[in-house]
Amino acid sequence: MSLDAYLLLGLALFALGLLGVIAHRNLIAVLIGIELMMNAASLNFMAFNRYCVTDPTTGQIFVLIIIGLAAAEVAIFLAIVMRLYRTFRSIDAEELTELKG
Amino acid sequence: MLETLVIYVFAGLVLGGGLLAALNRQILYAIIGLAVSLFGLAGLFLYLGSPFVAAMQVLIYIGGISVAIVFAMMLSISMSVRPRERHPGKFGFALLCALSFLIVGAWILHGAEFRTVEQAPAAAWSLDALGHALLNAYNLVFETLSVVLLLAIIGAILITRKERALQ
Repeated sequence: MSLDAYLLLGLALFALGLLGVIAHRNLIAVLIGIELMMNAASLNFMAFNRYCVTDPTTGQIFVLIIIGLAAAEVAIFLAIVMRLYRTFRSIDAEELTELKG
Repeated sequence: MLETLVIYVFAGLVLGGGLLAALNRQILYAIIGLAVSLFGLAGLFLYLGSPFVAAMQVLIYIGGISVAIVFAMMLSISMSVRPRERHPGKFGFALLCALSFLIVGAWILHGAEFRTVEQAPAAAWSLDALGHALLNAYNLVFETLSVVLLLAIIGAILITRKERALQ
């Protein structure tokens, strides 16, 4: 596959993640959409790293950092989901309207 | 020939898993779709020249993050409950957003031109070079990431802890 094919695949994956984030009401499904978007970004980094760069360590380090940050983000997100479930007995994004004025 | 076939299989795994993850309303199936998509991505990373990143993708993303999401799902929603019916207007709006993003992105990609270079020599791709870069040039990022992970752990414990009456 060429560079363009990888970029197109990353674009499609990002669009799928966007669809998941907007279409779902369940907070865990929203998290899955966010993960898809982050992975589309890492695929783009790896493709540019392979085809456009003379020193290929930089892109790999970018992707490793994305993976580490995703782990931290998931830990916090799931903690918030557990807390919301315990407080409101629901993780539906449309029922959690405490802050609505 | 076989190599091309394998790459297309991995790309198909990425797209198919992504579709399953984005569209399925049963959360467990969506998580399985996510894991399949991540696995396909790890295969593509392998082909893009980095076995180490591919291994980390499998270990951390599939082995760690997907499993953590499954645990959170089992603790927060009952698996026997059917998800509520989809709101057609909202789904149409989401589809419109994603499709317009895809079309605009493909249009930009069509007009862009990237100057490609030859693949770097194998020594530059070695794990040795990656480790040296991580602990010399990118040391600050590495340490910051470790602090961020520590804070995330402490924050997760604090958020999920049971409320106790203040003394």
